[in-house]
Amino acid sequence: MSEPLLLVEDLVKEFPGRRSALDWLRRRPARPVRALDGVSFELRAGEVIALVGESGCGKTTTGNLLMGLLPPTAGRVVLDGQEVGRLSGRGLQRLRRSAQMVFQDPYESLNPRMTVGDIVAEPLQVHRVGGSRAGVRERVDAALTSAGMTPVSAYLRRYPFELSGGQRQRVVIAAALALEPSLLIADEPVSMLDVSIRAEILNLLSALARERGIGVVMITHDLSTVAAYADRIAVMYLGRIVEHGPTRQVLAAPRHPYAQALLSVVPVPDPAARRRPVILGGETPDPSRIPSGCRFHPRCPLAFDRCPIVDPPLYTVGPDHHAACLLVENA
Amino acid sequence: MSALIEVTAPAAVEPSRWAWRRFLRHRMGLVGAAMLLVALVVAVFAPLLAPYDPYESARVTILDIYQKPSTAHLLGTDDGGKDVLSSLLYGARVSLIVGFAAAAIALVIGGLVGIVAGYRGGWVGSLLMRITDFFLVIPDLALQIVLVAIIGPSLGTIILVIGALGWTTTARLVRSQTLTVRERKYVMRARAIGAGDAHILRRHILPAVLPLMLANMVLVISLAILSESTLAFLGLGDPTVISWGQMLNFAFGRGAVSAGAWWALLPPGFAIVWVVLGTTLLGTALEDAMNPRLKRHHLEAPGGDVAHDRPVLDAPPPALEVAAPILRVRDLAVEFDSPEGPLRAVDGISFDLRRGETLGLVGESGCGKTTTVLGILRLLPPGGRIVTGQVWFDGEDLLSLDGRALRSFRWTRLSLVFQGAMNALNPVRTIGDQIAEAIRLHAPETSKAEAHRRAGELLERVGIGRRRAREYPHTYSGGMRQRAMIALALACEPDVIIADEPTTALDVMIQAQILELLGGIARDFGMGIILVTHDLGVVAQACDRVVVMYGGGLAEENEAGPLFATPQHPYTQQLLLSFPDVAHPDRPLRGIPGSPPRLDAMPRGCRFAPRCPYVFDRCTVERPPEYPTAAGGRATCFLLDPNEEARR
Repeated sequence: MSEPLLLVEDLVKEFPGRRSALDWLRRRPARPVRALDGVSFELRAGEVIALVGESGCGKTTTGNLLMGLLPPTAGRVVLDGQEVGRLSGRGLQRLRRSAQMVFQDPYESLNPRMTVGDIVAEPLQVHRVGGSRAGVRERVDAALTSAGMTPVSAYLRRYPFELSGGQRQRVVIAAALALEPSLLIADEPVSMLDVSIRAEILNLLSALARERGIGVVMITHDLSTVAAYADRIAVMYLGRIVEHGPTRQVLAAPRHPYAQALLSVVPVPDPAARRRPVILGGETPDPSRIPSGCRFHPRCPLAFDRCPIVDPPLYTVGPDHHAACLLVENA
Repeated sequence: MSALIEVTAPAAVEPSRWAWRRFLRHRMGLVGAAMLLVALVVAVFAPLLAPYDPYESARVTILDIYQKPSTAHLLGTDDGGKDVLSSLLYGARVSLIVGFAAAAIALVIGGLVGIVAGYRGGWVGSLLMRITDFFLVIPDLALQIVLVAIIGPSLGTIILVIGALGWTTTARLVRSQTLTVRERKYVMRARAIGAGDAHILRRHILPAVLPLMLANMVLVISLAILSESTLAFLGLGDPTVISWGQMLNFAFGRGAVSAGAWWALLPPGFAIVWVVLGTTLLGTALEDAMNPRLKRHHLEAPGGDVAHDRPVLDAPPPALEVAAPILRVRDLAVEFDSPEGPLRAVDGISFDLRRGETLGLVGESGCGKTTTVLGILRLLPPGGRIVTGQVWFDGEDLLSLDGRALRSFRWTRLSLVFQGAMNALNPVRTIGDQIAEAIRLHAPETSKAEAHRRAGELLERVGIGRRRAREYPHTYSGGMRQRAMIALALACEPDVIIADEPTTALDVMIQAQILELLGGIARDFGMGIILVTHDLGVVAQACDRVVVMYGGGLAEENEAGPLFATPQHPYTQQLLLSFPDVAHPDRPLRGIPGSPPRLDAMPRGCRFAPRCPYVFDRCTVERPPEYPTAAGGRATCFLLDPNEEARR
């Protein structure tokens, strides 16, 4: 286990901003939206990492960059020893085979006019893998079986509307597995599903990681859904990872005030344990106006005089546990 | 899940089959299809049906001209002494050929323009759409006349000209459909798989666009037939063929009117109306069946949703004590129409809500929780109706109200904040205006200034601040809009607020803000709140009492504390086991195997029996009644039967 499956280094992604009429009059250039501002992490085969944060924190952009759907502005993504952003044509096609995505909404992400069999076979046809019809059928069977859709023959000719939400998400996962990828990116894989189904889908994803050595990047806003499944958690805020460490440690003792707040508002199914939630004021700030110094300081309940000036790097606060806060500078 | 999805899910049918059913429901569409079929048969078999061959040049004497209808000539003869009936039958050929050929041309051009404009977008799309707009505004007929006159009237020219000018509506329709499909998640997913444009167009875009194009084509056919008739009537038809327009032209030009020969005028006119009416009826029905954007939203439903044969209790409303519940729901049952007969979405649910109390209505999607609250509010979608039960609100029977009384009731005493409500604000009016308007609607004697002052206070209360009252909804974020909706619901000082998944689409941080807000409102204003949610964490955080629903019925009800500490119904127990808890990340999560029952396949016995780990014989044959639980609540499970014998 030396070479990581996925290496993300100093990833930056800027989107051209909208120029308002006022900006135009003042001949001011458009303000770029910095969706990602230096994100780094590693993922080993068989490992599950969770990217957690509010909307607008850059977690979905990260997923799109990992998939090569968008080119990075700076930094690099290395998957299986290949740099994702540099690829084009054939190379990109090959990459698409090794990194697959599981989308949030299983009701929307399946074409209602295609059968389950066609949906799972689609990636094989796109990449011309599997060869003959029998070969494709075999791979479709294998993928559906791995996704827990057994007996396969009962589902092949069904249409998405005949399936429950959980079954649909399994079909999405099967379609992703058909190409035997080494990396799965799951963007809010269970947030649209019923609670009773969520555990099964999450169990399936972590079993795929454990048993098949697939690396899984789980993107979510909900700490509770990943608590039992992720090996590591990376908490993101405004395009940066502000805390990063093993799941147990981050959940037991979050060091960054933002991670602490995020954890405190996660609903716990125990009315007796109504904790004091740290409710942050305001909304997620605007990535086109990143505050000076520590980007969290305007909402931070613990901010002090140095926070608006110094932009804290990730300090080591424990074994493999890092947090970007001046309060842990000397820890 | 949103209300719409939840109520339509059980009746969902494969899209094409569903469109077919919708089409069959259109009587007029079937009539139109039959009319068109008659015209088609006539056109194909004209040589067999027609008594004479109108293209045959015969020697004509003056006596043959404008003969009255007779047995030899059923519809008389025309100015050339030819049999009108035969010309009429042969004329169907020209009309239909022109109609179909021109529509095919229009469809190809319109389809291509629409797909390219919709799929490529960018400047190409804008340019194409501006060209389409240009063609849309120039008067078709004038241009057709000019073009045909210049190029020379022949059947080919007429087809080309009509086709080349008739593609605009198709292009616009196809473009908008392509735009929607292009943004669909399954197209994004195909892209992420690595599919190219050709694959996406072939597999995803075309199948979605073609049915619409087909429906549109029928309408274009009717327009083309009408255009051809007009051109021919104006003397610009192909002189070598007989068409209905041509017949009218000759009859008018050659003295049919002065000769009183109505039989030369009426039949071709009637034939044109026949075909155009037929295609229009068919096209409209097809479009209605296949164009997803023409559907109505169920919240537009009127209040006539209570079954006439609902048993009415003669007993007076329950006595009003000081601590009496503000809302009492008794044995409420809701059914939806379906092709297979009525489906029971809510099956006899009862609960109470007190002032100042927050009641959680929990369950998985399809369990009937949203239908229950829509039933209470009498906002059931079309096809849904309350079949039994009572809803007492402060001593008044809600189900006996109608029309005005019901509408004023909904706003002033019972407000609804639904999921995605933040998109229900009027985008062109300021938030303050909208709240002030609601206040004045509720209490017309309030002055404008006073209403605005109160609107400011309410915005302050929901944590937005009165300064932002003058802003428009688009400057608000999603969480703020949801809070503005709560302020709007508060504006009429209702006694009860029903919040249907008020935080589902929001981030956890915003969710915490909204929940705290709702809790504060219940406390400060003494309102009753019904919180409909699938999230047990939200319930534990915000609710005093919980009603757990499963498959349209009650599973368990209790105070929040004991419900979470000692759940009695196996479903509640399993649900809690499957719910993640950050406080105990090491506890393995167990999903509940299987899925909730469909309305059309509800188990005969206990609804939860197929997924229950403790199921025994009795569960599969008999439906458990409500038993009181040791924890002080009630639950529908035979395991709670006090009779020991009955528990096996």
